[in-house]
Amino acid sequence: MRRILLGLAFGIAPIAAAAQVPAPRIVAADATPTDWLTYSGNYQSHRFSALTQINRQNVSQLKPAWIYQVRRTGIVETSPIVADGVMYITEPPSTVTALDVRSGRPLWTYTPSIPTDVIVIGSPPVNRGVAILDDTVFFGTVHGHLIALDARSGAVRWDVQVDDNKFGYYVTSAPLAIDGRIIVGVSGAEAGIRGFLDAYDPKTGRRVWRTHTVPAPGEPGSDTWSGDTWKTGGGSAWLTGSYDPALNLIYWGTGNPGPDWNGDLRPGDNLYTCSLIAISPVDGKMKWHFQFTPHDIHDWDANEIPVLFDATIDGRPRKLVAMANRNAFYYVLDRETGQFLSALPYAKQTWAERIDAKGRPVRRSGTAPSVEGTLVFPNIQGASNWPSPSYSPQTRLFYQAAREMGTYFFKGEPQYKPGEPFVAGGGRAVNGDDAWGAIRALESTTGKLKWEFKLVTPPMSGVLSTAGGLVFGGTDEGNFFALDAESGKPLWDTQLGGMIRANPMAFAVDGKEYVAIAAGYGIFVFGLP
Amino acid sequence: MMLLHLFLVVALGASAGQAPADVEQGKQLFNGMCARCHGIDGTGDEGPSLNRPTLTRAATDDALREVISDGIPDRGMPRVRRLTDNEVRQLAAYVRSLGRAAAGTTSGDAAKGRATYDKLGCAACHIIGGQGGSFGPDLTQIGVNRGPSYLRQSFLGPAEALPRGTSPIPGRGFTEYLPVRIVTGDGREVRGVRINEDPFTIQVRDSSNHFQSFRKSDTREIEKEFGKSVMPGFRGRLTDQETEDLVAFLSSLRGVK
Repeated sequence: MRRILLGLAFGIAPIAAAAQVPAPRIVAADATPTDWLTYSGNYQSHRFSALTQINRQNVSQLKPAWIYQVRRTGIVETSPIVADGVMYITEPPSTVTALDVRSGRPLWTYTPSIPTDVIVIGSPPVNRGVAILDDTVFFGTVHGHLIALDARSGAVRWDVQVDDNKFGYYVTSAPLAIDGRIIVGVSGAEAGIRGFLDAYDPKTGRRVWRTHTVPAPGEPGSDTWSGDTWKTGGGSAWLTGSYDPALNLIYWGTGNPGPDWNGDLRPGDNLYTCSLIAISPVDGKMKWHFQFTPHDIHDWDANEIPVLFDATIDGRPRKLVAMANRNAFYYVLDRETGQFLSALPYAKQTWAERIDAKGRPVRRSGTAPSVEGTLVFPNIQGASNWPSPSYSPQTRLFYQAAREMGTYFFKGEPQYKPGEPFVAGGGRAVNGDDAWGAIRALESTTGKLKWEFKLVTPPMSGVLSTAGGLVFGGTDEGNFFALDAESGKPLWDTQLGGMIRANPMAFAVDGKEYVAIAAGYGIFVFGLP
Repeated sequence: MMLLHLFLVVALGASAGQAPADVEQGKQLFNGMCARCHGIDGTGDEGPSLNRPTLTRAATDDALREVISDGIPDRGMPRVRRLTDNEVRQLAAYVRSLGRAAAGTTSGDAAKGRATYDKLGCAACHIIGGQGGSFGPDLTQIGVNRGPSYLRQSFLGPAEALPRGTSPIPGRGFTEYLPVRIVTGDGREVRGVRINEDPFTIQVRDSSNHFQSFRKSDTREIEKEFGKSVMPGFRGRLTDQETEDLVAFLSSLRGVK
């Protein structure tokens, strides 16, 4: 009898352990820091863990708990999701694998059939993570599909083509799952796509709306393009956005206009490229937009993570959204209205005299790409890029991995052919010993520097802050490290043996806290002994 | 004479698949499509540099055209399928021209250069064919990797030509053989060249050719001596003929036979 009961208990356990993540659970993600339910940890994109077991006093004792090595080659940029004892990761280019969080043992893996002639222009063929909602896992692929998998088995629930990969549309970012909607943006501006943000019905895969980031003739903003240039205008929405459930608005960054480095054919501001757009998830209608870099000619996408928090500015309580933009300025906006509040450089920049009272940059002359090359800071990949920042509600600091690097920008001749690079120029990075980086702690309401921790190379790893008073980060050299969140003092570091191009996250199981990050071909999970 | 000259140019161009017009067309295509990753002039960026005499994945012109057409999908190099065969040929011609740019020539005698190499005691710090000291770069196939102009500069005024980013370590455009001076926590001074570095540690080869590894937090001072080289410069110490002979010898080093 006892044996039967035990058997029953074990029989039931896997079902109980399977993910049941209704939307209200994600809305309340801060209340359950044992899980990590959405790309940036919560809808506000704080990438902050309220767990305190690993803290300033004991972080020096961190040890590997387990390591999972991916079964595929490529750069592992995944940001894990953890729900109810299961970690969901992606492997390059477009594989999803579920792991037991206690042991690191795989539970299932799913690889779609990717055509051998898949077109991936503008980034390496990577994937940055999944979304989870109810009992379904969602992810995008390099051949431009959005796929829904049964979280228990990895079985395909539906598979839709977001758009035609023949024209260079592809997906690398984790979708955003909210109540009744799976939101996903596309990559492909370097192939001259016309960017958009889509919403899909989580149950059926039916597209509910599509909002283009480049308006068609007659639509608002279309006067910022000329002729047919909007058709190849870029503006990819290639990284996961944020969501304010109370205002019921999603916030999404948009990428560079096409072609990247020669703007002669597209005079005007080129809305809504290099912008933050606030959209209603109900119908996809744009409530407001703010363009950081009008008529961009340096490939400074504004896809960086928009971070939502509330604070009092000039005596007035505000709902804010902040972004450490690729153009090297830290912006603070009112997220109800899009009103510009402030901008300060957080890394070296030589392209703007200042940002005016409305948030528009005043460009320096002689900073445009040229045939002979023009040295401009920040570099071609920006002072920031896709790696996530972190906001700690405890310290009220915004932590950013900043890239200190210049590039000689070159201008080429645009030549559009479907599915081919449409960039018209390029750059020669001033790298090696002439470049460096830092983890910077910025005052969240102003962008003023509180402290920095210097790095040897410009980082392509995100950061995590925790209620244990820590900031975790990684380096190209393979260091995974923890800093004191108040002072930036290094408290722990270890060598993972491969480039870190991923975001750290934290979770807990069986009463123990763990910190995880991808490096090289592995997912590394650390805990206290 | 003029005709002969033209004939030579055409013949050379045909053998390497690169008439000047092709190279110019190829450059346009390259700047539009390839420079974003490979850098303008193929100096490298997110993608590898291409301004080398030998491309490991594209040793022959056929292999190069294949890489352009088929890409290297798992390494992020997209296939370029919509170019005409002629455009692929032009692109390949331009990429090939990058590796030959500014290579220069020498009129020296390699055998005499070998004697100069021995006389100067270069082998104390340099390996050729597995023989010699390992403080400086291995020169076994330096003639493949470097043209005469660079080689001449490298021993006349080495500090002006420290290699950058040619080796996988430290990589990414870092200065190689960078002289460093380190003062340890207990006040000991170590001089040598940097082998590798990260924010927390530094690895050096000291002046007696021993590895030393330091945690930066354990050191008092780390001085990187940019603009200097531990190799002696030979400007003013060699005749023009000796210089050219040495360049000819180094240029003749093309790997273990």
